[in-house]
Amino acid sequence: MKLFDADAIGETILRRLAGRTSRRGILSRAGLALVAAPVFPLLPVSRAQASKPDRSAEAKTAFARNAQSKDDTKCDYWRYCAIDGALCTCCGGGIHSCPPGAEPSPVSWVGTCINPDDGKAYLIAYRDCCGKPACGQCGCDNTDRETQLYTPQLNNDVIWCFGTSSMEYHCSTAVLVGAAG
Amino acid sequence: MMTMLRATAASVIAATALLAGATAAPAQSAPELQPETSDTMRADPPNPNWFYVEGGWDSPGTSIFDGLTGKMKGLVDTARLTDFAIDPAGRYYYVAESLWSRRDRGTRQDMVTVYDTRDMKRQAEITIPGRILIGARKNNFVISDDGRWAFVYNLDPASSVNIVDLAARKFRSNVELPGCASMMPNPGIGFSALCSDGSLATVDVTGKKPAITRTAPFFQATDDPIFDNYAYDLAKKQAVFLTYTGLIYTAAIAAQPVVAQPFSIQAAAGLRPGDTKPLDVNWMPGGRQPMALHRPSGHMFVLMHMGEMWTHKESGTEIWDVDLAAKKVVRRLPLKEPMNNIAVTQTAAPLLFVDGEGRKGWIIDPATGEKKHEIENAGGGVITVVDPS
Repeated sequence: MKLFDADAIGETILRRLAGRTSRRGILSRAGLALVAAPVFPLLPVSRAQASKPDRSAEAKTAFARNAQSKDDTKCDYWRYCAIDGALCTCCGGGIHSCPPGAEPSPVSWVGTCINPDDGKAYLIAYRDCCGKPACGQCGCDNTDRETQLYTPQLNNDVIWCFGTSSMEYHCSTAVLVGAAG
Repeated sequence: MMTMLRATAASVIAATALLAGATAAPAQSAPELQPETSDTMRADPPNPNWFYVEGGWDSPGTSIFDGLTGKMKGLVDTARLTDFAIDPAGRYYYVAESLWSRRDRGTRQDMVTVYDTRDMKRQAEITIPGRILIGARKNNFVISDDGRWAFVYNLDPASSVNIVDLAARKFRSNVELPGCASMMPNPGIGFSALCSDGSLATVDVTGKKPAITRTAPFFQATDDPIFDNYAYDLAKKQAVFLTYTGLIYTAAIAAQPVVAQPFSIQAAAGLRPGDTKPLDVNWMPGGRQPMALHRPSGHMFVLMHMGEMWTHKESGTEIWDVDLAAKKVVRRLPLKEPMNNIAVTQTAAPLLFVDGEGRKGWIIDPATGEKKHEIENAGGGVITVVDPS
């Protein structure tokens, strides 16, 4: 039943950070936001040490079995396995770029998605673009290994516009962080 | 000629008199229409047959529908990403909300706004240090059983809870709660919450400093999560949890909560239990608000769909009626359209309300499955009922 160690490790790291950090200081709050993002790239290192995951068709989720790698303006594009919201690629932005005038959030929720071209899993950071009204184009809600609020870094409903000048949600990007084993 | 003219004039006068008589007769019996002045209706107190239906992302506002008639009774002012709760004594509606001084920018202001339930006017705005922005959650803003305290979940992105004294209408304190969220009131103690290590945390706020204790881990937070829109019964001090695969846990809520062994909702219906394995298509629970507990009878109503693991937001095509004590699914009600949220009144003859992506609301008699009312554009968000327990 224990399937996704990387997620559990990520959760542990975030919780440990949160536990050690007094949230009363604005600096510590900002620090957590800034620290949380670079923590995630460490995850694949831990993941690589784990036993080799099963990437056969039988082990893939319904999303992964049907994902494509050609069109990042469609909900079934492989990196979007746990995205929720408007695709920035449909809003004048790109896969890792905010549309003009919008600001990327330094923190994000994450997903582990399988690239159909090489069959490998990658860690994807879903960074919200903030500071403009909701884009409204290409709404997607994919839920591979998406969990509930007590594991917020794996929850795709939270407005992740922390540390930005405005918390208004505009659209979501899917930034490739690295291989996930 | 003169005679003829006179005769004609006489008949015209007679005819006119007749006509006048014909039109004048009803005026004598019906009251004359009077000019009107504008006024405002006064609401009835919160009613156990009412449903409070959040509009959703695109159409905020919480509409109140009478389950018996299907008619709208009013609307609570809930903007996008707010949380809504009802005073247990029925005096106030509470809205936890976040506003900015310049629409979406400028100074952020977080507050619990208090509305009188009868004139529905704002009574107070209680400033708080912050709250999570998420929406569609039932357990981020909960009221203690005695109506005295509000617990407001915050993520900034550290995790904490802001405690509000509703009697004094003042923010009281902030409790750091790393790795936990989705709260329920814990009568006489404070509150409890689910945690990412699979435990249930209890925060005792009765002492000088809040004391946090945790149960042993009992669920798999990343592999088979518990839906955070779970249900609890303050009178019985019992929580009911449901996981993505369909495991149902009950927990006795106290200073040290005790969690019972779970049972499978599919097995309770005579089917094989849900599994996390891909390609294992089964009946699975799903939706934003996938379960509703009828507290007086101990029956739980769950939105179910056919799918694999990780289809937990998918709308239900059936409602399963689970007798929690007997651990049996006693009825399966098919839905003509998939629905995403479900609630049940706490009355002796309960009524179900379901809504979904199309913003359509249905009021259903769970005893027969009959659709009593269909409401166009009711809303697509989570649903609240009055809990008289």
